[in-house]
Amino acid sequence: MKAVFSIALGILAAIGGFVDIGDIIFNVAAGATFGYQLLWAVVVGVGGIITYAEMCGRVAAVSEKAVFDAVRERLGFSTGLVALVAGELVNLLTIAAEIGGVAIVLQLLSGLPYRALLVLAVVALGLILWLMPFDWIERVFGYLGLALLVFVVAAIKLHPDWSEVAHGFVPSPGTGSGWVYAYFVVGLVGAAMIPYEVYFYSSGAVEERWTPKDLGTNRANVFVGYSLGGLLSFALMISAGALLLPQGIDAQLLGTGALVAQSALGQIGLILALVGMLFAVSGAAIDSGFAGAYSIAQFFGWEWGKYRHNAGAPRFTFAWIVMLLLGFLIVVTGVDPVLVTEISVIFSVVALPLTYIPILLVANDRAYMRSYANGVVANIFGVFYLVVVLVIAVAAIPLLLLSNMGQG
Amino acid sequence: MTDIDLGLGVLDHQLLDCDGRRCGNVDDLELEGVGGSEPRVVAILSGPPAWKGRGRLGRLASWLARGRLVRVPWDEVTEVAAGVVLRSTATELRLGCGDDRLRAWIEKLPGSSR
Repeated sequence: MKAVFSIALGILAAIGGFVDIGDIIFNVAAGATFGYQLLWAVVVGVGGIITYAEMCGRVAAVSEKAVFDAVRERLGFSTGLVALVAGELVNLLTIAAEIGGVAIVLQLLSGLPYRALLVLAVVALGLILWLMPFDWIERVFGYLGLALLVFVVAAIKLHPDWSEVAHGFVPSPGTGSGWVYAYFVVGLVGAAMIPYEVYFYSSGAVEERWTPKDLGTNRANVFVGYSLGGLLSFALMISAGALLLPQGIDAQLLGTGALVAQSALGQIGLILALVGMLFAVSGAAIDSGFAGAYSIAQFFGWEWGKYRHNAGAPRFTFAWIVMLLLGFLIVVTGVDPVLVTEISVIFSVVALPLTYIPILLVANDRAYMRSYANGVVANIFGVFYLVVVLVIAVAAIPLLLLSNMGQG
Repeated sequence: MTDIDLGLGVLDHQLLDCDGRRCGNVDDLELEGVGGSEPRVVAILSGPPAWKGRGRLGRLASWLARGRLVRVPWDEVTEVAAGVVLRSTATELRLGCGDDRLRAWIEKLPGSSR
């Protein structure tokens, strides 16, 4: 019973932890621009993160290796270093976007000046990480992020045309500008498969000393947690499609999403949406900060771990502090966090193959994985998604330019 | 006696001391008798100078990072599993010094032992 309870808690945290600023921006903007036509792209993205997170969790449970252990062992020092530098640069943009997102939500809640709230956000995140036990942080942010479920209620209350919604789950060429449509496909898949999630997930599994006995927990977390997280993405896109598209409202602001909840459910909807966003985005800032520290520590062989006290893994601790500060420095220049979000998602797509190829190789290596190596199903999905990842990685930057960042 | 693939199974793997502390990676291997009939591994090399032998980017990284080379005799290795496990402590082998140096600073901050 206790085990079931703990799995349920983990799943809840995974749902709250799935959505970050990239998902919010891309899903709301996709709904406002194309209605429900791009729901299928979210399905593709969620399938991708499920496929690879499951592999990462299994590799961690069986071989005790986190993602960047595998990257360095498989790609060697030089190529691994390219993967590390690319991964860290993208991750830094992600952290910057999340910190900026936290400040925007705080501004919508309080009306105080944005820059002051940026300082407040980064100091608060730093203190929380420094002082609070990690499992506590994970649970609190994950559960409060569940306030985003208000968008599910909003989506239903806005009475979308459900047959059109159903059509959205079938891939179609889409109406309107082809470049913009393709740009959103890449953005939605990229936001769902953003690599910090697997760095973070696999390192957490190593820290919790998973063994093959935990493979059930792994599957439950990944399949149920990420699918329900995907449900939040659907809800964001459907409610934006039902409300914003008919009125021709452009969704270039984070607050637009919250307004959708407000017009469907009034003041309480607005508050729940903002609270959900605040905790989901803060949680993502924390996860991405840790993910950056995990990667560098694993690449260079330093001691690491969020469950260690701060002095127990000194360079790891120093690394996440520096990541948060650098992320803060990027957004404090005044650059638009929504712009940073889009760029971070698109560039993370470019770096995706460097993360996912080594994972697929290690998950197939019977020397490490013994009888737990990838089976046929895992490999069919793994290879399919590798192709998807390679295609969108090549297409990402040309589409960014051709679609004028989705503006047409 | 099981076969170990040096390229995939040892090189670039995590070093763990006898207390399970992560204390660097296997950055390079020192071989003896290469070209002869019985080449063998005599030592593990760890630290930035060992990156020099790891391609052009390795040389660049080695030059940028500086740092000290630590040579761990192969006799120190007790197990090659998820990581390469060593017989002594990191401190005895002078591995993981970067963490030790920084720890002295971090310990001065309040709440560092949380």
